[in-house]
Amino acid sequence: MNKFTTDVVIGLEIHVEMATDTKLFCGCATSGDDKPNSRTCEVCLGMPGSKPVLNKKAVEYALRLCIALGCKISPELIFSRKSYFYPDMAKNYQISQYEIPLGINGKLRLGSGKTVGITRVHMEEDPAALIHPAGIMESKYVLVDYNRSGDPLVEVVTEPDLESPEEARDFMKQLITILNYLGIFDVNRCVIKADANISIKESKYTRVEIKNITGFKEIERALKYEVERQKQEVKSIVQETRAWDSDVGITRSMRKKEVEEEYGYIIDPDLVKTEISTKWIKEVSDKMPELAQEKAIRYARDFKITEDDARVIAAERLLAELFEKVAEEVDPVLAAKWLRRELVRVLNYNNKEMKDLVIDEKHLIELLKMVEKKEITDAVAKKILEELIQKPFSPKDYVAKQGVKMIVDTKQIQRFCEEAISENPKAVEDYQTGEKKSLQFLIGQVMRKTKGQADPAMVNKLMKELID
Amino acid sequence: MKAVDFITQIRNGDIDVVEHTRKVIEQIKKINKEYHYFNAVSEKEALEQAEKVAKNPSGKLAGLPVSFKDAICVKGVETTAGSRILKGYRPTFDATVVERVKKEGGIVIGKTSQDEFGFGAFSVNMGIGYEKPLNPFDKERACGGSSGGSGGISQKADFPHISLGESTGGSIVNPASFCGVFGLCPTYGRVSRYGLLDYSNSLDKIGPMAKYADDIALMMEVIAGFDENESTCADKPVDDYTKQIDIDISGMKIGVIKEAFNGADAGVEKAVRGKIAELEGLGAEYEEISLPTAIKFGIPTYYLISTSEASTNLAKYCGMRYGKHEKLEEGFNEYFTKVRSMHLGQEAKRRIILGTFARMAGYRDAYYMKAMAVRTKIIQEYKKAFKEFDALVCPTVSMLPPKFTDIDKLSVLDHYNIDNLTVGPNLAGLPHMNVPVGFEGKLPVGMMLIANHFDENSLIRIGSDLVK
Repeated sequence: MNKFTTDVVIGLEIHVEMATDTKLFCGCATSGDDKPNSRTCEVCLGMPGSKPVLNKKAVEYALRLCIALGCKISPELIFSRKSYFYPDMAKNYQISQYEIPLGINGKLRLGSGKTVGITRVHMEEDPAALIHPAGIMESKYVLVDYNRSGDPLVEVVTEPDLESPEEARDFMKQLITILNYLGIFDVNRCVIKADANISIKESKYTRVEIKNITGFKEIERALKYEVERQKQEVKSIVQETRAWDSDVGITRSMRKKEVEEEYGYIIDPDLVKTEISTKWIKEVSDKMPELAQEKAIRYARDFKITEDDARVIAAERLLAELFEKVAEEVDPVLAAKWLRRELVRVLNYNNKEMKDLVIDEKHLIELLKMVEKKEITDAVAKKILEELIQKPFSPKDYVAKQGVKMIVDTKQIQRFCEEAISENPKAVEDYQTGEKKSLQFLIGQVMRKTKGQADPAMVNKLMKELID
Repeated sequence: MKAVDFITQIRNGDIDVVEHTRKVIEQIKKINKEYHYFNAVSEKEALEQAEKVAKNPSGKLAGLPVSFKDAICVKGVETTAGSRILKGYRPTFDATVVERVKKEGGIVIGKTSQDEFGFGAFSVNMGIGYEKPLNPFDKERACGGSSGGSGGISQKADFPHISLGESTGGSIVNPASFCGVFGLCPTYGRVSRYGLLDYSNSLDKIGPMAKYADDIALMMEVIAGFDENESTCADKPVDDYTKQIDIDISGMKIGVIKEAFNGADAGVEKAVRGKIAELEGLGAEYEEISLPTAIKFGIPTYYLISTSEASTNLAKYCGMRYGKHEKLEEGFNEYFTKVRSMHLGQEAKRRIILGTFARMAGYRDAYYMKAMAVRTKIIQEYKKAFKEFDALVCPTVSMLPPKFTDIDKLSVLDHYNIDNLTVGPNLAGLPHMNVPVGFEGKLPVGMMLIANHFDENSLIRIGSDLVK
């Protein structure tokens, strides 16, 4: 009997490609020339006589993750050979870890505050990529591209603590946030893949493994599908391995699993044991940045911004770093609002990401200070921000030169309001017969006339006085 | 002529290196027809190197003909480890030892014959299509193995010559003993294995075989030392091995391994004991010591570990990217099976099956893991002995070189038991050397010296003193 009680039980095995410059056991580049088999040598091709030499940087990266997940770290790094025949394997064994993984017994906190246990974190090499020229089902042959062969992977295995596809998605999301913070993962080129073990109460928790799910959005989709499938086919659920077909949105049976797979692990005798001293762990630990969850708590506490804003800003390292600089000079609540909403909106609109953003924080601070002091309206500030992400300039000079300071002169604004009223009698009538929305239309007209420079609060007040 | 004397003559311009090389190549071709010591003769490469040396004869091995066991990669020269499955494979890189020999002006004359992948003690387990090397003293008898070709040519060559053999469980000292030459198997990690086709990575060692102890010392100075491409290669300074030749052995304490004479051929025992008796006259002391663990458990421990590792190493030979190819039919599993069934020899298949079995889940703890634990016990037993003794001594092989017709009568287990004296120092990674101590009739007898880790000096000192 198992210990489970929840409706759904999910455990994940997540493979993360680490963003080192060179491969795990040779000096070949992990990125660059994508011409097939251009980034290879005798080691990652598994040529007879070649031998692996461990990339210490990759160990450091994996250590960062172990520390961030609060794992107990093994005093020695030991690699094993996992043997199986497959055309993507340069040596027909994969250098991985078996008995003694780098880290064990860690945990990760979800957005909800729930803690998920981490069983183990271990390092291994990526196999080559198989190319099916006519599609996976149709091809009579495959081509092998060894550019990926030997790339450093870290595998994170969770306890079966997740209770829903949504939680699985959040787990992946939180993990990616951590990886980004640690600087060990490059979202643009590194792949993150998951295998999931999933079972439901109705089948007495008969375990099904879903292979090959890429990305955190896919994991929710795949597991939602699988929960439904298991509920509908509850009488015929067997222990098996299934593959996720993201194009069709279904899982397909790969093999029924009666016995555990046989990999005949032995210690890899070509690699010496690497000591992981407490000194090394401390060095890595000292260099680690404050992580997103710690930042979010600190922001909400010290800057008095909402927990939601704090979490969203903290989740993106570059955004968080920018926020910390800006919040020292400008009201943090205002800064949070502008960074989280406006900056992100402008970036999305321009198809840019934080890492593409070249902005001098001095200029951003200058801009937000003018907003804070009500020297310019939000509308004008947004326009300036849109330009500011394209090229650097001083917003203060811009405002002076363009004459776009906020109009706070009552008489001037009243005049614009009266103009708007006389030009839009229908809207005034609608408003007066109870169509309250029309007020916004009239205010919009004033803002248009003033190129967004009128103090919106004052326009609102005067307009109401005039037509109520 | 000793290699050192020859090199002096080359440097002085007394010998035309190109002419000499040409003659050597002719000679080995002739010897090869009769004795089968070479799998490949690298005539073109040898002459090119000779031209280079003629211009600059400054290297430590200037102009010296050097042969390499076939398992050692030589760039552009067919390298098969004596297996048909690698027929046609020409490495794209030199093994570190080859690189070092070439750098010092040594001339690679060819690849010597061996048991397929090193799997044997007589050089009779030849790959399909390879001829057995014949004993230089009696063509009806074996050269020993697995570096049989290296042993044979080292004795037969009437030109200055050193061969590099490789030992996993005795494959240097055994053929050195049967062919009546010196053969030194260095401490594990003293000489880089980079570019050696692996048999059992935690046991494989490359070492020199030659007629004179001086030549052994000279070659060790060239090939020993750190290699950043090989993780198990020790980062320790290299001794002046050639200086040991002139240092006498007075005051040294030598242990005679008691159990090692049980079941020894009477002629072997007589010659070895006779030589041991000379130690006193040279100022050394000797007394008996018992090493029960190594002798009793050495064979099963060795065969479990070596075959476990070998079965993973040989997995890469599947007809995909190098060596033999066959018509592509059916799936990859069927294809790999076809190539391996057709082109691997019987003993290779036996060791793959044995090793795969020993590391399978369910048997792994009882065999592979147990063997690893016994190996540690054996190391401890030797380490204890070296607290008391500078070196240990015993026969290298219990028997005289046998006739092929007698070998045919041996069971597989009898065959494995031939290694009983040599597997101990190999499992413990200890340096050991065959000293040719005399003849029984027309057949050579070898004595094995074993020293503490990284104490090759003692071996050379004692060996050169005993055989002037």
